Amino acid sequence: MSQTIIKQHIPRDDLLASGHLACPGCAAPIAMNLVLKALGPETMVVLPACCWSIIAGPWPQSSLRVPLFHTAFETGAAVASGIKAGLVARGDTETTVISWAGDGGTFDIGLQALSGAAERNEDFIYICYDNEAYMNTGVQRSSATPWGAWTTTTPTNDPEHQPKKDIMAIMAAHRIPYAATASVAYPVDLVEKVKKARTIRGTRFLHILAPCPPGWKTQNDETIDLARMAVERRVFPLMEVENGGTWRFTVDHPGGSIEEYIRRQARFKHLTDRQVEIIQDEVDARWGILSNRVEHGT
Amino acid sequence: MKKVMIGNHAVSWGVLRSRVEVISAYPITPQTQIVEALSDMVADGSLPAQYIKVESEHSAMAACIGGSIAGTRTFTATSAQGLALMHEMLHWAAGGRLPVVMANVNRAMAPGWTIWTDQNDSLSQRDTGWIQLYCETNQEVFDTTVQAFKLAETVDLPVMLVLDAFFLSHTSEPVDVTEQEDVDRFLPQRDATFKMDTSDPHAFGALVRPDAYTEMRWQQQEAMHEARDVFRQVEDVWEAITGRRYGAVEAYRTEDADLLLVTSGTITSTARTVVDERRAGGEKVGLLKVKMFRPFPTEELRGHLGGVDRVAVLDRNISPGHGGIFAEEIRSALYDVPPEDRPNLFGYVLGLGGRDVTPTVISDIIDNCRSTARPEREDLWVGVEL
Amino acid sequence: MSERDVTKPHDTGRKIPPIAISETSTLVNPTGSWKYIMPRYEDRVAPCNAGCPVGIDIEGYMYLIGQGRLQEAADLLVRENPMPAVTGRVCHHPCEDSCNRASLDEAVAIHSVERRLGDMILAAPPPPAPERTREETVAVIGSGPAGLSCACFLARLGYGVTVFEAAAEAGGMLRLGIPEYRLPRAILDRQIERIQAAGIDLRTSTRVGTDVPWAEVDAFDAVFVAPGAHVGKDSRIDGAESVSAIRPGLEFLKEVNAGGRPDLGERVIVVGGGNTAMDCARSALRLGADVTVLYRRTPREMPAIPQEVREAKQEGVEFEFLAAPIGVAKEGGVFTGITCQRMELGEPDESGRRRPVPIEGDTFTTKADTVLTAIGEDCDLSFLPGDIGTTWGLVEVDELGESTSATVFAGGDVVDMPRSVADALGAGKRAAIGIDHFLREKAGEDVGEVPLDDLRFGGGNVSALRYSKDADPIPREAPVNQTVTWDQMNPHHFQTAPRHEDHFHDAIDLRSAFGETNFGLSQKEAIEEAERCLNCGVCNRCELCLIFCPDMAISRREDGGFEIDMRYCKGCGLCAAECPRGAVTMTREGI
Repeated sequence: MSQTIIKQHIPRDDLLASGHLACPGCAAPIAMNLVLKALGPETMVVLPACCWSIIAGPWPQSSLRVPLFHTAFETGAAVASGIKAGLVARGDTETTVISWAGDGGTFDIGLQALSGAAERNEDFIYICYDNEAYMNTGVQRSSATPWGAWTTTTPTNDPEHQPKKDIMAIMAAHRIPYAATASVAYPVDLVEKVKKARTIRGTRFLHILAPCPPGWKTQNDETIDLARMAVERRVFPLMEVENGGTWRFTVDHPGGSIEEYIRRQARFKHLTDRQVEIIQDEVDARWGILSNRVEHGT
Repeated sequence: MKKVMIGNHAVSWGVLRSRVEVISAYPITPQTQIVEALSDMVADGSLPAQYIKVESEHSAMAACIGGSIAGTRTFTATSAQGLALMHEMLHWAAGGRLPVVMANVNRAMAPGWTIWTDQNDSLSQRDTGWIQLYCETNQEVFDTTVQAFKLAETVDLPVMLVLDAFFLSHTSEPVDVTEQEDVDRFLPQRDATFKMDTSDPHAFGALVRPDAYTEMRWQQQEAMHEARDVFRQVEDVWEAITGRRYGAVEAYRTEDADLLLVTSGTITSTARTVVDERRAGGEKVGLLKVKMFRPFPTEELRGHLGGVDRVAVLDRNISPGHGGIFAEEIRSALYDVPPEDRPNLFGYVLGLGGRDVTPTVISDIIDNCRSTARPEREDLWVGVEL
Repeated sequence: MSERDVTKPHDTGRKIPPIAISETSTLVNPTGSWKYIMPRYEDRVAPCNAGCPVGIDIEGYMYLIGQGRLQEAADLLVRENPMPAVTGRVCHHPCEDSCNRASLDEAVAIHSVERRLGDMILAAPPPPAPERTREETVAVIGSGPAGLSCACFLARLGYGVTVFEAAAEAGGMLRLGIPEYRLPRAILDRQIERIQAAGIDLRTSTRVGTDVPWAEVDAFDAVFVAPGAHVGKDSRIDGAESVSAIRPGLEFLKEVNAGGRPDLGERVIVVGGGNTAMDCARSALRLGADVTVLYRRTPREMPAIPQEVREAKQEGVEFEFLAAPIGVAKEGGVFTGITCQRMELGEPDESGRRRPVPIEGDTFTTKADTVLTAIGEDCDLSFLPGDIGTTWGLVEVDELGESTSATVFAGGDVVDMPRSVADALGAGKRAAIGIDHFLREKAGEDVGEVPLDDLRFGGGNVSALRYSKDADPIPREAPVNQTVTWDQMNPHHFQTAPRHEDHFHDAIDLRSAFGETNFGLSQKEAIEEAERCLNCGVCNRCELCLIFCPDMAISRREDGGFEIDMRYCKGCGLCAAECPRGAVTMTREGI
């Protein structure tokens, strides 16, 4: 074998139109396209404030070929709860409702509503495409910003102090039926997870790492490579959690030094070698914790 | 069917009769009994609605917005801090032209902590684009709840019905609960003007540039203007079914009056007794009850107040740095009345944080109003003892 | 009473609706105007193709095998290489040295796949002879790989071809020099039969200059000279000429390959490090001798095919490196062995290999019953007329094999080029093109220059298919004649898979056998091996570009290719970066 041909696993119809307003090389539209391919046209999208508020196009446009509701920053999960309730009230139990939020709308301002919905086990899929900062407002730190990163609110002489929030653990703690991480560099894994999520009822959570060329200060054509490297080097392991207790890795994570991953992103260029080692230690430690969860389900 | 019930339950019964499809709410005193009763109705199957027990009022309104854009009739209830927390989403519902109906039980704003009534919570939401209807009795609360859906779904604007904490919310009165078949004729299932539909997909609420935002706001304002007439029609139909109507503004014994009290909410009932007493004494005193605060019934107020000598507006609210809010609004409405017909307006601020407004207080106000040629200041605080 | 009693006031016919509800898609935004660089589908040349001296579309036939189109794969192979069953066995396969897959795991075993396809071809009856479309006739001197290649391609180009072969049977060095255990005679015979079936007049036992005069071949419209190199070089061993036990290796091989089984005694020394030396050593082994190869440099400098060296070692051949024979050792006038000079490596010579330098005074003697010298062969060009230019005993030719005489072309071991079967086959193909071009020009056709650069696979040999402008069975997208390098590809989309190694005869049995030692791969293994091919530089419709395009700017064409809608392509370059095989190029041209 040389190359595993994946096209037969990726549904052909695009529910996302060209001419959307994502920056060149943005991972967010790739993620959206793959998710909608997996879900099909019987899908409704709730869109709290995020880069996608722009990507979707200004009035009177829409880049989506499914219904889309733009909403306030912190309300993705709540509005999705309401839409689903409305559909069910009218007898429609089949249409999939997704809430499509950035890391700010998920890790920060939207966490309360998300937690509420997850605790109620609302029947929708919450998808966070995570570009690791408030990119739409011009790169300010969020609680998804990794330790050591530059943003406009964490300048290089005082970069991000905190490691990235463990959103998967938070979601797993809600004991929702399905939570998973996914990557634009692993389209089949992503599509399969979305398809699986679609068959499950209750709150489903998907966390997709979405490299951002202007925010990460990388080249436009590095997006997929960096997303892939994040997985391979265990910075962003691909996994799924069922009912909050069963953790499983879904691809191989060969590991190895994260140095290239860090050094290729100019948002980390101020870091000393020692600081890169600190990140490596953190990645290794987190991998240990995750492996333990996979092994012992805790 | 007549039942004795508290004001909060009058709301619940209105919601039941309106066949609301999605309810989303968060508890807060003094509205909690509304959503408790609804929980029972949903649980026992009498109200087959989806009930989302959200984790905050902000989410309550957000979920109602979701239910509404999905095409269903939605309802929530709140008070005070809860309403303030909803503020952002009140704009979203109104700007999105979603006919959400909400009951707000008027409660004063903290700090310090208070659970008793005044109108600052709802009046603080004046500019969010919601229709606001203030109620005086539990019967009116029930009727207004049902009417609110009719009005909201006709003009595609959200409606807030407002009742005083405790004086209505927790006070029992007999309520004639309109039969379901009658309400069904009045209020069929909602047929949404705009909704999410996978067979006709659209995006709602995208970025609007300066070249179109004004036009959308203009249409929202036009709908507000239209709501005055639509409310009249709604009351016509409701009256035909039930025999009851209230009016955006109710004039009580205003004929040949040289002094008119202007009230809203439960103070109105107290004021009625005072007016009756004074009329019995031969005094030409009348009462104007303002039910509809948004859209503001400007023309009706001008019609009633133009040519009257003195007007005493009783405000259970304060816009700090200005005055009582009804008083300021009415003062503004009267600017276009010819100077010779323009009444002398006294704005009284009273009853804040649930302080009782007794007949004596109102009687004293009438005396005060008659005793001076001009008000000393735009806000005349009643009963302040330092 | 009904709802009708309340009038709904909305006027929905306004230019601007009451809310921000979408009315159009984002297709109205020409976001492609943002780009400053744009992608272009450009198929490139796989390095194996460029590295093949024959000029075979290896990547192309691997692709066809991968598609399950075995017959088309065979057709494409034989279109460029008239004897794949032979090269699949004896070629030194530089294609595998250039294979990009080596950077991933191991090179594709191209020779094994070629051999399997070659044997499949041999199993079928030969195709009908190509139509004779040209009046002209061409004489070919020599029926080795160069001569037969040239003859075959000329026949396909419509010419009448006569091949003059001095030996009794055709094949040249394939028959005379290569032992049977590497190239079974049945395979060679059938391969030659197929070439002959192209309508070639083969005259064996006919040495030009002896059996027929030069004038007879000169009467043809053109002549291709490819007689090979058959004269063993001087062994430079003092006194060797008087010792019959010291003999040229090639002469020994010819004897054995003709069926002779000479008695070499117990101990045989083979001098040299090339393929002839290996063939001598392994043949001598099969005659029962203990064999030592004496080579004046180190294993690294050996010109022999590494596989041959490996097999020789496995079979029991000993090697003595950094040693050169300098004299004859005798006891009582009887030859007992040779004296050797110890060498060390000095500065690199013109070939880039480090030059062996004698270590003063360090000599040794080694016993031998027979010494076979395999240090290279010279050509006998005495039959050529004097007006044909030669240098250092080799015919001077241009890139298409044309000598200083307009009608005379030459190739193979008589010209200055690497001496390999593949190079000879490639030279024959080039000369056929050169001769065709020359004859057409002579016939008054407006043929212009031969577009050599366009005919070559990258910088490699020429393609007969391209020269004839035949339909390419591989769908190609705007092909650019540049070899794709590993760093232009994206290795992340490939999985590692172990290379299928040929099956070998058990070495223990070899010493008395001349049967084929290498059994190659089974059909199933060969197909799996072909599927290891990465199809470097050539779009295989994997659609990763389409999947990763953030702008949905790429769509499928009906013919299976792709189209980029430049109205929406923002030029991010992800399609090019993620293309596994370097078939998308980013360019500023056209913006």
